[in-house]
Amino acid sequence: MKGGTMQTRRIWAVIVLAGGLSWHGCAAPEAPPDLLAPTDAQMKIRSLQIKTFDLTDRNAAIRGVIASLQDLGFIIERANESLGLVTAARFAEPNYYDVLTITVTVRQETSEKMSIRANAIYNNKPIEDPKVYQNFFAALQRALFFSQESTSSS
Amino acid sequence: MPNVPCVLALAFTSLLGCLPRTEPADLLALTPDIPANRAMQTRMFDTPNERELLSASAAVLQDLGFQIEESQRDIGFLRAVKERSAREYGQYVRQALVLILSLGKILQPVDLHQQIAAALVTHPLNPESTRQEVRIKFYRIVWKGDGQFDSQYIPPGEQYMEMIRDPDIYQQFFAKLSKAVFLEAHRI
Repeated sequence: MKGGTMQTRRIWAVIVLAGGLSWHGCAAPEAPPDLLAPTDAQMKIRSLQIKTFDLTDRNAAIRGVIASLQDLGFIIERANESLGLVTAARFAEPNYYDVLTITVTVRQETSEKMSIRANAIYNNKPIEDPKVYQNFFAALQRALFFSQESTSSS
Repeated sequence: MPNVPCVLALAFTSLLGCLPRTEPADLLALTPDIPANRAMQTRMFDTPNERELLSASAAVLQDLGFQIEESQRDIGFLRAVKERSAREYGQYVRQALVLILSLGKILQPVDLHQQIAAALVTHPLNPESTRQEVRIKFYRIVWKGDGQFDSQYIPPGEQYMEMIRDPDIYQQFFAKLSKAVFLEAHRI
């Protein structure tokens, strides 16, 4: 008889526990109050993505961005001169199944300063590695330098 | 409890599959093959008319069976695509051989469909814009068919992309373009 009550108690305990767990699932998850608030990590990645160049010609800057992306093996998918926007993608060779997408925006800050921002995404995940952005800006600087050199020499 | 390590190992490997693949550290670094690619994809033309060069390029791409998808005159940009079948005899032979050797267990997916695309950019080389550079890149995206690996079905639609690196294709395009604009294409 005693064993029987123990068993019933155990069953009740399991039922209560299961009920509690299922209720837990029903509670709506509350949005944290700092959702969409800028985080330190965002500010840091933003500072990595932006670089200011001493350039006056916006059109030449966009063409420089396109040239550097082409050098890096990207395919230009979309470009918009009036917004200063270039979107390009490439499969991360030699692995043909990983996709690397980049959006570059060119914005004139002052008459002599051009701010260029690059957002790179690897397989739907933003790249946060500073080295990657440094590599991109090195390639961009090189392309801009070559285009300036070709325009000044001729 | 001899199965516990097995279960743990299994759980761990299944978790590994969930980890997103991260980017390699040398991503976007300049590589030594850049100048060679650039030389293959680029030609210079002695003309002040960038617009004419761009529209002639569009006409040549149309002659080659491409459809123009995107164009931006201000920065001299064109993107064109064509869809073709990607079926190859050799792949079917390999598929059949693998199927026989694996006793009917492995059916390798073969390439079914491909999209060949071209991205073209023109660029003035001097402030008077008397010389223009044209750079074109050809690439293809291939879609695979379905397959079978033991009892697991491989759904169709897996895709991969490859850059077209055959210099003949680029030479043919530039030969047609220089004919279309009555100008000689100079190598860089």
